[in-house]
Parts: sequence; structure tokens; C-alpha cells
Amino acid sequence: MEIALLVVLVIVVALFFDFTNGFHDTANAMATPIATGAMTPRVAVTVAAVLNLVGAFLSTEVAKTVSGGIIREGDGGVQISPAMIFAGLIGAVVWNMITWLRGLPSSSSHALFGGLIGAAVVGAGVASVDFGVVLSKVVLPALLAPLTAAVVAYTATRLAYAITRRQGERSERGGFRYGQVFTSSLVSLAHGTNDAQKTMGVITLTLIAGGFLSAGAEPPFWVITVCALAIALGTYTGGWRIIKTLGGGLTEVKPTQGFSAEASTTATILASSHLGFALSTTQVSSGSIIGAGLGRRGAKIQWGTAGKIVAAWFVTLPASAAVGAVAALVASLGTPGLVVDAVVGAAVVGGIFLLSRRTPPEQQTAMEVDVAATSVLSRRRVRRLARRGSLDTPAGGVEAPLLHLDDRPPAAVAPGAPDDEEPRR
Amino acid sequence: MIDWSAFLLVALVALVAASALVSLYSVGLRLLATEPRTTPATAGAWACFGLCAVGVLAGIWLIVPALHG
Repeated sequence: MEIALLVVLVIVVALFFDFTNGFHDTANAMATPIATGAMTPRVAVTVAAVLNLVGAFLSTEVAKTVSGGIIREGDGGVQISPAMIFAGLIGAVVWNMITWLRGLPSSSSHALFGGLIGAAVVGAGVASVDFGVVLSKVVLPALLAPLTAAVVAYTATRLAYAITRRQGERSERGGFRYGQVFTSSLVSLAHGTNDAQKTMGVITLTLIAGGFLSAGAEPPFWVITVCALAIALGTYTGGWRIIKTLGGGLTEVKPTQGFSAEASTTATILASSHLGFALSTTQVSSGSIIGAGLGRRGAKIQWGTAGKIVAAWFVTLPASAAVGAVAALVASLGTPGLVVDAVVGAAVVGGIFLLSRRTPPEQQTAMEVDVAATSVLSRRRVRRLARRGSLDTPAGGVEAPLLHLDDRPPAAVAPGAPDDEEPRR
Repeated sequence: MIDWSAFLLVALVALVAASALVSLYSVGLRLLATEPRTTPATAGAWACFGLCAVGVLAGIWLIVPALHG
């Protein structure tokens, strides 16, 4: 009885973790296209959700170990029990929710590792954790990933600006928006093939431990399906807070920078996953945006925000480990402990959700980003409008006016005005 | 400990790949913006975009394990 309850609990929490993983990471791929107006927020999250769904089915290679060697498992090591996995997942979910509330992009894998480490320390002692692997797989890559991505994105951005330097009247840089659609889609697809795997691995491992599957079994089709659906749903829900941080909180992103940043993210992630040096998608994508910000003359980087993000990366592992450890301690009481864990975990998640409702609604903040980004008329559009006499600015449209929804010029609402002159909603 | 040679390889490949893709796309955009527009420039621009498309397809090939075993 108890093992069946445990397995059901783990599956439920694992799927919820998959869901938070999805909405935490939408921003990695879609923050810059939303910020530059390459895609509207709704289109962007839909594309990301579909690609995550497809990606989850594409990958046949299943992560063999959930913990990536951080916990000494198998022969001569500890046996990861379903209760430990359950406690670890609670740690990961709670930390993902906290960072989401603060709008901080933090690695979901690190949260999962952290939760499992905390649970393993409580369940099997400090010796069960290989801290050498923690250093080489988590701490150092957290420094190297954003640095590499920043250098790559800086170089790419400088190249892009140098090549497209304005020669005459025309500026062609708006064309980078079309490119962004492709590069950000690639990031989404890569995310789907990697991240849903982690949850599939966790659920399969639990089913094996509970005796419902034979050792070494492939994940059943229903597991793949529910994991794919959970991550896609999470992606579609969209972590608007994190999108806002990456799309505008770090630096103002122009189409040229957005394209360069996404191209750098894609190149770095693909290189890292195929040449044997794992880097976190979240950290690569944040680094790319900073690099692209440094690459445009006159761009400002909000170093305060960048500092908060980096701090969150280093706190992620210990913080989710602490939650995982407490959860494991409670779970060691047996069935009542598991129920307490589940109830408290659900209460914390619900509480964070309620807290998030008190601050400005998410949809609205995403809309602000969108409107702010797309309502800046390009000089060409201003000239076109001025020629037609439908824009009445004193300077003759030399300075691109910033339009707000609440102070639209009369021309923009005049009947028969083409759609692209209005700020998109 | 950390495998520095693997890391350097990843960093270099990423740098070259991203720079190549972004440069190609930029050159394409630049050629499209030439005034007056000439046929060779337009053809060159689309050749650049075509190469970018090849890069994107290569990315998909790398992402989907079924394609490269």
C-alpha cells in the first residue's frame, strides 16, 4: 500500500516539476523574440510549447542516471529510494517556484540535483554525495557557461553591427526579426529533447524501484506522453516574470542583438551537448543576452539585475538541497510523513501562486514588454507616416516617438490606418 | 575535475558557428539593402540566407538523435 502511494506521489510531483521546468525555461528561447517584436507573446509561447512537445517525443536516448553521477549510486554506493526522490523533487519544485516569483532565471536541472543531494545527505549520509562532481558539473560550469556565451554573443553582435552599418538612408536591421524566429525555435526544440528526459528518467526510476517495471526498462509510452504534455503545458503557460527579466530587465534588446544572442545560445548549447561539456541552457541564454547588450554601443546593462541572477545560480543548489533535506527528514517518518510533505509542499506552491497574483498580473507585465518593444516606430515607418501626413510630430518624425496605449496620437486610431502603425496588443 | 580541452573545444566551436551564422545573415541583409538594387546583389543575399537555412537544418540534425544515430 505504502509503496503504491509513494509511487503515485512521486509521479504527481515529478510531473509538476516538469511543468515548472517548462514555464521556467520558456524565457530562454522566447524572451528576446518577444522583446523585439519578432513574435507576439502568444505566438511565441505557442511555438515554444509545440516544439517542446515534439522534442520530448523525438529523443530516444534516456538519461541513465537522474543525478548525473553527483550521488554515488549503484554497487557499493547508496540505493536511491523513492522516498528520497520524492523529497528531492519537493526541494526542486519549491525552489523553482521561489525563483519564478522573483523573476530569476535559474537552472531547473540544478534545482533537481540540489533537491536530490539534500535528500541523499539526510537519507544516506554526507559520504553519498560526490562533491568533486558537484564542483566540476555544477559550480564551475555556472561560471563558464555565461562567460562563454557572453563572449560568443558579444563577438556575434559586433560582427552583425559592423556588417550592417548604415550606408545610406535605409536600415536593414529590422530583417533580423525574421532570423530570430528560426534561432529561438531551435533553442526550444533542443530544450524539449533534453529537459523532458529528466522527468521521464525520474518516473521510470521510481517505477523500477517500486517493482512496477523490470530493472533497465525503457520508459513506457504513457510516461513519455504525460511528460511531454506537462512540459509543453508549462511552456505555454509562460513564465512571464522571467521573460520580462531576460527580455528587458537585463538590457534593452534590439532585433540585431536578439538574433545574435539567440544564434549564440543555439551554437553554444549544441556544441556543449555534442562535444561532451554540459552547460546549463538557462545560464548560456542569460550570458548571451548580456554579451549582446555589451556589443551594442550605447546599450546599458542592468548589472544589479545580472548580479541577482548570478547569485540565484549559486544559491539554487544549496537552497533546494536544504528544502530536499527537510522533506527527506519528514518523509523518513513513514506514510504520515509523506502525506505531511505532500500537503506542505502543495501549500507552499499555492501560497507562492497567490503571492504572485498580488503583484501586477503576469499577462499585463508581458503585454507591457510587448507594447514597449513594438510601439517604437522605426525611422522608416515614421518617414512613411510623415510623408502621408498622418503623423504630426514637431520634429517631422526625426526622433522616433514612443507611443503608449494611453496616449496614442489621433492618427493612429483614425479609421483606415494600416495595422502596423498601431502598437500591437 | 574539469576537462579544459573539452571546454575550449566547445567554446571555439560555438564562437565560430555563431559568428558564421550571424555574419552570413548580416551580409544577406546588407546585400538586400543595396541601392539601387542589382540582380547579383539580390542573388548573393538569397545565397547567404540559403546557407543560413543549411545551418538551421544542421542544428535540427544535431538535435534529433534519430537522424544521426
